[in-house]
Amino acid sequence: MGVESEVARLRRGDLDALAELIARYQNRLYRYLLRLVRQPAEAEDLFQQTWLRLAERIRHYDSNRSFEAWLFTLARNLAIDHLRRIRPDSLDEPISGDPQGETAAARLASSAPSVTEGIFEQERSGRLAGALETLPVVYREVLTLRFEEEMKLEEIAQVLGAPLSTVKSRLRRSLDQLRDCLEMRYPGENWQ
Amino acid sequence: MSEHDEVRELLSLAAAGALDSSEEERVTRHIRSCALCSSALDDWRLIAGGLRRLPTPQPSRGMVERARAMAEIRFGEEAERRWNRNVMIFLVAFAWVLTLLSWPLVRLVSDGLQGLLDPRFNQAWIGFAGLTTLGWLGGGVAAVLLSIRQRRERRLA
Repeated sequence: MGVESEVARLRRGDLDALAELIARYQNRLYRYLLRLVRQPAEAEDLFQQTWLRLAERIRHYDSNRSFEAWLFTLARNLAIDHLRRIRPDSLDEPISGDPQGETAAARLASSAPSVTEGIFEQERSGRLAGALETLPVVYREVLTLRFEEEMKLEEIAQVLGAPLSTVKSRLRRSLDQLRDCLEMRYPGENWQ
Repeated sequence: MSEHDEVRELLSLAAAGALDSSEEERVTRHIRSCALCSSALDDWRLIAGGLRRLPTPQPSRGMVERARAMAEIRFGEEAERRWNRNVMIFLVAFAWVLTLLSWPLVRLVSDGLQGLLDPRFNQAWIGFAGLTTLGWLGGGVAAVLLSIRQRRERRLA
């Protein structure tokens, strides 16, 4: 059964549809939140809050929009509010004059051992995930939306509430920075 | 900026599948004759492929079940809140209709049919209308205060 019909049933008050939507999106939503906040406990808390927010707002959802983009926007807004409360600096985009392009908070985070790095079994994936974690949140999220969630640029623009040109330039900068980070941490490594 | 430099800027987006058709064509044309850019694009594809293959961390089943249970409760609360609001709107509208109907009725009873058609108002009628208006105003203020309090309680919860 499609997402649209599940959403329509939920709007009519069918709680089975809620369970189906949670089952459908649980892994992707949790992964996205974990990429944003990096701490599993915080990601779990935000995961629960996202579904609570959905229960409150589902009647305001415009069915002409992509449900997926709407759901990820809810999650993103909660994560950004959370980060703003606990780590305000982590939301800054890197200053273009900074050769490393890192914020102070991102630098602090990169010096600490990665929390989710240990989750991944494969060493190279772990390294790539580790490098991803050192990026500022605005870059991490655009990378995870594009490559892990496989969203189109238009959908990413909806989630971020940003123009398409901003999404493109942010994606390019995030890839540049990821590559720089990989080369700096693991010189001469083949990433195949 | 030379064609080579311009295309080089596009390579990461090409690996991300984020170019429009004209940019994609430009990159394809250029890398046919430029080994350096072709190799750079391969490197970008390796990174992009690695990102696509990152393992998906799984949320714990208990946490997902808790989220579902909490969302169901919230869903029920929201439905109840909407029902209460609709009932309140209906009751207020009904009370207003009754009030407005009672005014000419009171006038009819106190002054008879002639009094109802008389455009002048007598004191008893003005007093009744004034009292009901005051009652409504008091009720309105109480409703607003109650609503503010409920919102505050919901926010704290």
